[in-house]
Amino acid sequence: MAYSELIKNFNRIREYMREFYVYGFKSREQFTVGSARSYDNERRRVESWLGDCMSFRRSPDGKNVFFSIDSRAYYHNPLYKAWKAKSFTDGDITLHFILMDILSGGQDVLFSRIVEEVDDYLTQYGSDKMFDESTIRKKLKEYVECGIISMKKEGRSVSYRLCEASDTLSDEALDFFSEVAPLGVIGSYLLDKRKPHREITTFKHHYITGTMDSEVLCELFLCMGRKCFATLKTIDRRHGEEYLREIVPLKIMISAQSGRQYLLAYSAELGKITTYRLDNIAQVKAGEVCPEFDNYREELSRISDRIWGVSLKNRGSEELERVEFTLRYSDDEQFIYRRLLREKRVGRVERLDKNSARFSCEVYDSSELIPWIRTFICRIVDVHFSNQELEEQFRSDLLSMYEMYGVGDGE
Amino acid sequence: MMFSELYSAYYNAVAAILNEAQGGAISDEKLREIIEKHAFTESVLNIEPALKNGDWPLIKDGISVLKHEPAMPLTTIQKRWLRAISMDRRLKLFGDDTELFPEVEPLFTQEDVEVFDRFLDGDDYGDENYRENFRIILDAIKNRYPLRLKVCDRRGNRYDKIVRPWHLEYSEKDDKFRLITSGKPYPGAYNLGRIISCKRVNGRVSEASVDMAGTPDRSVTFELTDERRALERVLMHFAHLKKEVERLGDNNYRVTLHYDGDDEAEMVIRILSFGPVIHVVEPKEFVELIRERLMRQRSV
Repeated sequence: MAYSELIKNFNRIREYMREFYVYGFKSREQFTVGSARSYDNERRRVESWLGDCMSFRRSPDGKNVFFSIDSRAYYHNPLYKAWKAKSFTDGDITLHFILMDILSGGQDVLFSRIVEEVDDYLTQYGSDKMFDESTIRKKLKEYVECGIISMKKEGRSVSYRLCEASDTLSDEALDFFSEVAPLGVIGSYLLDKRKPHREITTFKHHYITGTMDSEVLCELFLCMGRKCFATLKTIDRRHGEEYLREIVPLKIMISAQSGRQYLLAYSAELGKITTYRLDNIAQVKAGEVCPEFDNYREELSRISDRIWGVSLKNRGSEELERVEFTLRYSDDEQFIYRRLLREKRVGRVERLDKNSARFSCEVYDSSELIPWIRTFICRIVDVHFSNQELEEQFRSDLLSMYEMYGVGDGE
Repeated sequence: MMFSELYSAYYNAVAAILNEAQGGAISDEKLREIIEKHAFTESVLNIEPALKNGDWPLIKDGISVLKHEPAMPLTTIQKRWLRAISMDRRLKLFGDDTELFPEVEPLFTQEDVEVFDRFLDGDDYGDENYRENFRIILDAIKNRYPLRLKVCDRRGNRYDKIVRPWHLEYSEKDDKFRLITSGKPYPGAYNLGRIISCKRVNGRVSEASVDMAGTPDRSVTFELTDERRALERVLMHFAHLKKEVERLGDNNYRVTLHYDGDDEAEMVIRILSFGPVIHVVEPKEFVELIRERLMRQRSV
């Protein structure tokens, strides 16, 4: 098939975008997603959409292609462009503009009249293109389903009209929410219709990786709205396996500190609430309405103060894991106490005296706290995990770091 | 349907071309300019011939065959997204008109989604004074005039300052807005939550005076051992920064990150958070910052 810069299925490009953006060190030979030819085509496509953001480097392994993006320097997420590369046929685009024009009068137009008028447009142009009734009906049905036109049936006659609706959101608000709200790409679609305007807001700590998972996220929101079951096709990248999972989607958890997106869902197979990473979900298929949806949500809400991040790993064991640590800071480091307060999530902070404070919490999986505790290195007076293995790991990691940087004897 | 040709760059480009070709014949130059603006690098190779050879019989002799400007109403998914936005507490910052499509179900609600690691001391968007300041600042940026700010610093000291507002910066992690002001030699940054009041003053903020804050002017290089999925965790965590990654061996990588010097302390603790899977090798000053913290920890 001839190369085209447009694509039919977003999943094809999703893995490549992720590799170019997140990793960016693989050469053509090291890509395992598809064939070498498919790599060439996908790289060329991405280059056509996002050439400004791409960089190249020669390494002993070959030429590496990667996205070089400092998201703080952009008013808009550049990766949204990939979502605007859907392929279509000559008939699709021709019929689209002609149908929209026929319906632009704001009146109901009978189907038979639409068919005649489509013919008139093509005849006047002198085109040998023809659209039969069933093609036109199919396209109109598609547009009714996506909400841009409405259909009215009176007896045997069917008529259509354009749905008139304009959004009143200000340009500044739309710019902002298209970056910070879930499924911001929808805001970007709306912005494409706006006149150019001055952008006002830039974004710090702005993760754009989740953009690639927008289709999966949208399907999950639709399932939650319907309170229904869903079948997930998940990918195990390490082993190259795919699995089907019957679940009830309950909540999306987003990390502002890594951009990762997770799904908390009731797993029919496991009989409990569990976590899935969105970038490991290839496909979502909506199922029947789940009568137990509200109960599962209630259960999730009941246990949410025992989850530090998203892990429910040790749920089911009788005791929660306890973590406690004490920090000591000088008179001019009172911001450490304030840090504890603003970053404590489900934990508790106790001020012991002017220069020390203790943090404690009980959660299902205390390993999730370790990276955060390490950010206080140089002020940790003591640290205790009820999970002894983790405590040993924490201490031995610290010793490894001493050794790595030549601090003391590393013993 | 999220991935649809209705939202595509090609449809947008063709709509803009048809709009331009409504009153009179569109020139080849203009046609290419529109394609370049709305679509991709190679799109001109597809769109221009398709319109000219009649594969897309929408333009004849440079003139649109349509009777109206191309219409594109909102899709249901767009309305539902806007409905969800209308329920966001931050929307009121931008104006009081927050009633968007009440007849449709929001695409998501607060119960469907949660940012679980956002800091708890974010700006108070419900505070009327904050909202009023936000709108004045927004207007000043749009219309490019200076402001006199009354600010309370972190130690509780109050001061006045005349600034040239240039743009806002929002951090999702901090859940705070900052006003970035232009100026030479240094641009300034003010947390909106610390601004007590702001008033317009005479003058104009010209583009020539701009010196953007937040430009990456430093870099740090570390070697990474891919244990406990460290490669993925580290690269995802720093994905928002400009970076270079190089494979050194089967399990070892060299990563260089570019960051703004003002964020150095934050970078130090973020790197520390990964423990021994990261070993900072350059620059020496950064290695020293890590060493110094480890030495202090060892002596605690």
